[in-house]
Amino acid sequence: MTALAVIGAGQAACTLIAELLRGDFQGTIQVFNAEGIDPYQRPPLSKTSFDQTVSETAHPLLPPQYKADPRVTWVASEVTAIDPDQGRVTANGTNFFADHLVLATGTRATRPTIAGVPENALHTLRTHADRLQLEQALAHASTPVIIGAGFMAFELAAVIASDTRHVQILARGPRALPQVSAESAAYLVARSQAKLHTNCHAVRYDPHTQTLTTNQGELETDCLIATVGSRPNSELLEPFGLADADGVAVDAWMQTPHPRVSAIGEVCRHLHPSVGQSLRVESISEANDTATTLAKRLLGQPVPFQAVPWFWSDQGHEKLQIAGLAARDDAALLNLDAPDRQVVIRHRAGQVTAVEAINTATEFMAARRLFEQGPIALNEVHAAGSMMALLQSSRSSRS
Amino acid sequence: MPHLVFIDPNDAEVNAPYSPGDTLLHAAQQAGVDGILAECGGGCSCATCHVILNPAWDNQVQSPSPQEADMLTFAVDPTPYSRLACQVILSDAHDGLHVHVAKRQY
Repeated sequence: MTALAVIGAGQAACTLIAELLRGDFQGTIQVFNAEGIDPYQRPPLSKTSFDQTVSETAHPLLPPQYKADPRVTWVASEVTAIDPDQGRVTANGTNFFADHLVLATGTRATRPTIAGVPENALHTLRTHADRLQLEQALAHASTPVIIGAGFMAFELAAVIASDTRHVQILARGPRALPQVSAESAAYLVARSQAKLHTNCHAVRYDPHTQTLTTNQGELETDCLIATVGSRPNSELLEPFGLADADGVAVDAWMQTPHPRVSAIGEVCRHLHPSVGQSLRVESISEANDTATTLAKRLLGQPVPFQAVPWFWSDQGHEKLQIAGLAARDDAALLNLDAPDRQVVIRHRAGQVTAVEAINTATEFMAARRLFEQGPIALNEVHAAGSMMALLQSSRSSRS
Repeated sequence: MPHLVFIDPNDAEVNAPYSPGDTLLHAAQQAGVDGILAECGGGCSCATCHVILNPAWDNQVQSPSPQEADMLTFAVDPTPYSRLACQVILSDAHDGLHVHVAKRQY
């Protein structure tokens, strides 16, 4: 019987727990949850209107019978140290022991350094507690500024902007949304209510006059929000040479070089066969797919990781869905161009690397199905016209 | 409290109390209904919370949005009564109704 210790209680941890229990796992599972509330889904934190509060029970991650399963014990404390050789986990001054440790600690928001900003005046959004603080801060704010111009900046802008609340977004580089093609970014920026400043970074803030000084001049703002990325919570493993600032390296079965330690979710870095590179990926699909890969291994049916990443971002009425993972300099082909929808195909060396679909779910889902079958040649998409047409022709040729 | 009856992929019936305004997905998750993956957590982005309504639901729910309809075409064996549970908002009118969870989500 295996005694498992799972450090973290987010998406990856909860998927692992559910898959193990569903798969009739014969061991025990100790879960270390430092957040003090039951496991919850994070996407609604930035996608739900700020006209309403997000309660801590609104978006549960685990069904009640899994939370209460006798094989699972919950420890509501932060893990401060581990010892892989001993299988020891230290939390709140108490030592716990397990046969195998799973690091599912995720990431934390990066806080930019801006001179003059009091600690509590710069908001980030990663946890439910962050959301509640931001709800309070925004209740009386009319000029929020978001530092950083990625998905979360535009999701947030869409749910906090109103007739009386004007949102500005600062992009450090020459353009917003660098995760996607210039074409997809342009579509979304044009439909955002936020005012975007490019090549702009914050220098200092005066909380008394509520003035933010940037390299381009001064902005008045009564609420500062930073969405400038994140770093992995991998420090527990760093003393053992099993992690660095870019996460925990694992193999295709989510195993670290230490036989008693695995890692899943956004904290881990591993080969993505569909990309051909070892990467740390931040997405729900990564959390779920690494967790199910580990669950299969722990249930005695190991299958190497082979999923294709996917992403989505709700920005007001615009829904961006991405299948695959493109490098920032991959070429972009505008394959569908309409007033209310758009599809961009990213490609490199004749192969499709990602499909960016805005308000076009069929192209996104068709691309996911095609990626699952193997590499997609750009000239085949050209010949078929769309991902959907290519999928249909591949299905009819196989049947 | 109003309730629904889910029939899970193993044909087990699960009673699911709900509050008007909840989504079908929320009611299913609160009751621990098996067989619904909801990989995207209710974002209408993954088509893994596929459920099947029945004629008793006629005129009691809004039709799927174009986005949901598109996603449903990628569900496993969709039927005219297929829905994504994350997109169906419940009201008092749904008290006592039955919902089948799709046999497979992918």
